[in-house]
Amino acid sequence: MTNDKILLDHGSGGKISHSMFSELILPVFNNPELAKQDDGAILMLGEEKLAFSTDSYVVDPIFFPGGNIGDLAINGTINDIAMCGATPRFISVGLIIEEGLPLADFKTILETMAKAARKAGVKIVTGDTKVVPRGKADKIFINTSGIGVIAPGVNVSGSNARPGDKIIVSGTIADHGIAVLGTREGLKFDSDIKTDSAPLNKMVQSIIDSSCGIHVLRDPTRGGLGTTLNEIAIQSNVGINILESSLPIRGAVRGTCELLGFDPLYIANEGKLIAFVPEKDAQDVLEIIRQDEFGKDAVILGEVTNKDPGRVFLKTLIGGSRIVDMLTGEQLPRIC
Amino acid sequence: MSLKYIDEYRDSDLAKMLVKKIQSVNCKDLRLMEVCGTHTMSIFKHGIRTILPKEITLLSGPGCPVCVTAQKDVDAFVEFARQNNVILTTFGDLIKVPGSGSSLAKEKAEGADVRIVYSVFDAVDIAKQNPDKEVVFCAVGFETTIPTLAATILSAREDGVKNFTIYSANKLTPPALAALMETKGVQIDGFILPGHVSVITGTNAYRGTFEKYNIPSVITGFEPIDILKAILILVQQNATGLPALVNAYPRAVSENGNLKAKTIMNQVFKLCDASWRGIGQIPTSGMELKKEFAAFDAAKKFNMDMPEVSEPAGCACGEILMGLKTPKACKLYKKKCTPMTPVGPCMVSSEGSCAAFYRYS
Repeated sequence: MTNDKILLDHGSGGKISHSMFSELILPVFNNPELAKQDDGAILMLGEEKLAFSTDSYVVDPIFFPGGNIGDLAINGTINDIAMCGATPRFISVGLIIEEGLPLADFKTILETMAKAARKAGVKIVTGDTKVVPRGKADKIFINTSGIGVIAPGVNVSGSNARPGDKIIVSGTIADHGIAVLGTREGLKFDSDIKTDSAPLNKMVQSIIDSSCGIHVLRDPTRGGLGTTLNEIAIQSNVGINILESSLPIRGAVRGTCELLGFDPLYIANEGKLIAFVPEKDAQDVLEIIRQDEFGKDAVILGEVTNKDPGRVFLKTLIGGSRIVDMLTGEQLPRIC
Repeated sequence: MSLKYIDEYRDSDLAKMLVKKIQSVNCKDLRLMEVCGTHTMSIFKHGIRTILPKEITLLSGPGCPVCVTAQKDVDAFVEFARQNNVILTTFGDLIKVPGSGSSLAKEKAEGADVRIVYSVFDAVDIAKQNPDKEVVFCAVGFETTIPTLAATILSAREDGVKNFTIYSANKLTPPALAALMETKGVQIDGFILPGHVSVITGTNAYRGTFEKYNIPSVITGFEPIDILKAILILVQQNATGLPALVNAYPRAVSENGNLKAKTIMNQVFKLCDASWRGIGQIPTSGMELKKEFAAFDAAKKFNMDMPEVSEPAGCACGEILMGLKTPKACKLYKKKCTPMTPVGPCMVSSEGSCAAFYRYS
């Protein structure tokens, strides 16, 4: 990295975030659990296999269509744990509050968090609060960490994708990013674009409880579907082919992206997962996901190949082909 | 905001038919230039290069506003950002373009108040909300954005806004095409002319250039079917040896363009010489504020007169913009120059050809 200061790009979730992790963070904290770079760490404590994950939320604005920073923070960590193939159990909450935040807003956020935790069946068991002078933070920042239990025999990781795997996405992409952007920039949508923030642990549980094979689970949050597919292609050293004609995107979200020049492949999702499954189980897993309340629009998006390891290709609507790279640069800061 | 008529212009059967027709025209190697950055991006995004016969080479021209912005203008933006009491407003792409010593992104990290806006009207709103600050807008664009800029200045004048100014690095398309045709070594067999710009200028704006150089020229839209159709027309014109100026975007472009927009543009701005990256000074290819709008001229208000500076060593952006080189022929490409560590603007802008090559091929 040639910059001598942290830029917003370092928080994009794209290429620069990855180089910050691999060049600056990993060498300092280096250990095998961290080096795996999955959504959470997978740990052995005695006989028990656990998933442990943490995430911080700085979204601006704190209230947006369909949710607020509170349920975003709970769902986000639940999903990170679920993507390890674990059942999320306990959550911690750290609140950094700016002096002057209206008490009513604070209460609303707490109540939303409690409701989100109840819905997902997890308990908020510990936490911390700090208040900083006005201007030293922006309204409220939230950190959540969580622990989940991985059942014996479950082995889900970003490095498990195999040639021949089918790739399933659990629903429409780019809803969250566009909902937040629309509110922040005061764009007056003539439609009801809402965040897709949702807990995916029950969907994951249903897949794991079935007899279907499952290689990779990942929620394509910051950096979007395009970046997440690249991460998996690199971690598993495989090629990935996806079809533009299969990409599920709501008309209004697509229209907004077209108008503003955003690529929906790089826009954040907060309630979607991608699953890599052996071809023989693909239809069954797709059906299981579609049965879940947050998976009705699930589709098979593409497949894994042994060609061009580490790269993602998109077959375009007109029959052309192009590379889908990781997000380079910050498309939308403070989206989660 | 569900946009209609997207799928119709991305129809795979229609695309296949057009490609078949292009293939059936017997032609030698052809070098076609898409002048507009939005065309460049669309060509990559839809994988158009991957379905064309190998005889056809598509070159990206000087139509990405950020890419053609001279180094000294980028330096000026950085200088404005460094001024006390200034809020610098800009469209997003410009923020990472490296100037001689810094970029707006770096100045922002140092504490400068640099804000990304989606419309220049937002910059005026910021000025109204911050009466104690000076708001400067980086005006980088072509005929597409200049009329809006002019309308904004008229409305700011009417509202008595005193703390809003622009630094104009605006440019016009037809003079650049002429300059390109006069450049030694440039070899172009046809122009894919910009869609948005032509909505304002109309087909007639290119008449002079076309008649002088007699080069196949097609105005078209940005969807893959539009672009394939333009390529087919250019290929056919080359095969028959009968060049023509064709408007293949009649659903948006007329002969004379948007008269109202042109009137507003000419009310506020007048022609001036302008510096283009890589190409240099092109006579009457820019637009500066007329005298009666001098109060909105940031260069005058801040007495900013940046010296001409040379472009970074090894950066081939200029040659790439003229179709003399492809990004892959630049020795910095993917080595020293990447979207994370850009050296030239073509690697920064979402419409830049180096960024497009890096991302999509």
